[in-house]
Amino acid sequence: MGLSLSALAERKTLWPWLLLAPLTIYLALFFLVPLVEVAIMSVTEPRPGLANYEKVLTGSLYRKVFLNTFGTALLVTLCCLLVGYPLAYLMSTVSKRAAMGILLLITMSFWTSFLVRTYAWMVLLGNNGPVVWLMQTLGIAEPPPLLFTRFSSTLAMVHILAPYMIMNIYTVMQKIDPSLIRSAESMGAYGKSLFRHVYLPLTAPGIANGSVLVFVICLGFYVTPVLLGSPREQMAAGLIGNQIEQFLAFGLGSAMSIVLLVVTLVILGIYHRRFGLDKLYG
Amino acid sequence: MNTLMRWIGIAVVIFIAAPLVIVVPMSFSTAASLQFPPPGYSWGYYQQFFSDPSWLRPAWNSIYIATMNTLLTMALVVPATFALVRHKFWGKSFANLMMMMPMAVPHIVMAVGYYSYFGELKLVHSKLGVILAHSCLSVPITFLVLSANLKGFDLTLERAARSLGATPGQVFRHITLPILKPGLAISALFAFIQSFDETVVAIFISGRDAETLPRKMFDSIREEADPVIAVISTLLFAVVFAGLIAPSLIKGLRRMAGGTPSK
Repeated sequence: MGLSLSALAERKTLWPWLLLAPLTIYLALFFLVPLVEVAIMSVTEPRPGLANYEKVLTGSLYRKVFLNTFGTALLVTLCCLLVGYPLAYLMSTVSKRAAMGILLLITMSFWTSFLVRTYAWMVLLGNNGPVVWLMQTLGIAEPPPLLFTRFSSTLAMVHILAPYMIMNIYTVMQKIDPSLIRSAESMGAYGKSLFRHVYLPLTAPGIANGSVLVFVICLGFYVTPVLLGSPREQMAAGLIGNQIEQFLAFGLGSAMSIVLLVVTLVILGIYHRRFGLDKLYG
Repeated sequence: MNTLMRWIGIAVVIFIAAPLVIVVPMSFSTAASLQFPPPGYSWGYYQQFFSDPSWLRPAWNSIYIATMNTLLTMALVVPATFALVRHKFWGKSFANLMMMMPMAVPHIVMAVGYYSYFGELKLVHSKLGVILAHSCLSVPITFLVLSANLKGFDLTLERAARSLGATPGQVFRHITLPILKPGLAISALFAFIQSFDETVVAIFISGRDAETLPRKMFDSIREEADPVIAVISTLLFAVVFAGLIAPSLIKGLRRMAGGTPSK
């Protein structure tokens, strides 16, 4: 009897590991090893040493690209917030039917591939597109170039990432107890002060979630900046791609990758300690 | 304050809708380049897409790769999710973190890693390489969706079956699996979409032979902005629309037909 009990206990401790083993081995082989290889290449290609990091961290080109990446990510996050907060607010105040309609629109936008949305902005902002046509009709004879600028890539990224922000804020707003707002009003809070002291703090978790998510995705964004941005104002991911595809500079590309990875992990790490990573996606 | 926010909200609705709306008329355009409004309408670019192997091949590649990716990901993630949701064991929080890691690494970083690693394994430019890479990237979202479903599972149902004399295998087959079916289907769908949409890693490792649809679209947009892309965009868009609308339509149909479907 005693023997079978201990056997049962042992089985209990082994069972989860048996279930986890295939995936663990798989991730070790096809996720961890390539990642470690990037780290190794960054200190061995073309010759051993820290020369790549020295270049990436002090070279003027790289500094410019990293600063640009941060600036863009910050700008996009801010714009997503400015765009997302009012929309989430609109959704939580209109009728249920209208809110469902807007939700459907956002879900469709979310599920439409990055590439499709990037392409759509190319059409919208192109020389023969509706925006230029509208500007000309309004009497602007020579509209400024819109496509392949910082403006076009930022706008498209805001459009692509806004659903993340909106959904995070909307989820929080929906849960706000209306009686809280009413009681604040009954105590004399209204307008700006009601917003600042009651509504904003209550929606802060959604803002934090959405902002971290948008910022982190934006830091590593490749497709949209490459297709829509100005070649003179590259972002980190685009430059990494160049190093690998065009210059075959694996060492430099890897060193940049590791810097990008470390920054991303630090931000997510801080987030994880405070809120837990699994909360990030709702 | 409130009215201002509402007006901005309405403007944002237009901002979000505009790019989704513009693609559809563009796909029926007769213009050789991007021009809006189109000078005329035709099915020309649809015919071009459905008769051009250089577009059809990547489309099939993508469907094949996404299907294989789904099978592989589910085979790995389903058991692991059971272990993580239903068992307490040493190292669990670490295992949880491990499942989420592929989501935390920028895809461009993984692309660099796969480019060099699969180069050594002679897997670059092969479908197998893309499938293996995509399966790693699909783990977090598949796990999140499935574990949310599994956490909501009422364990007393299994216990009841056990107390009535069912073996663990019978419980799994007749109780656990049927209840979990919708959750499994949705997480499989997420795995499929993750692979079907993945662009960055595919750009670097799929080559000519395993070229996926997103890679072909990326190259095409970068080089010439071929209007055929509007066709693909409209088709993908229609699939998403159908996917979102279909469930509620089916629900409505069932309600109209009266009663719930028998299992």
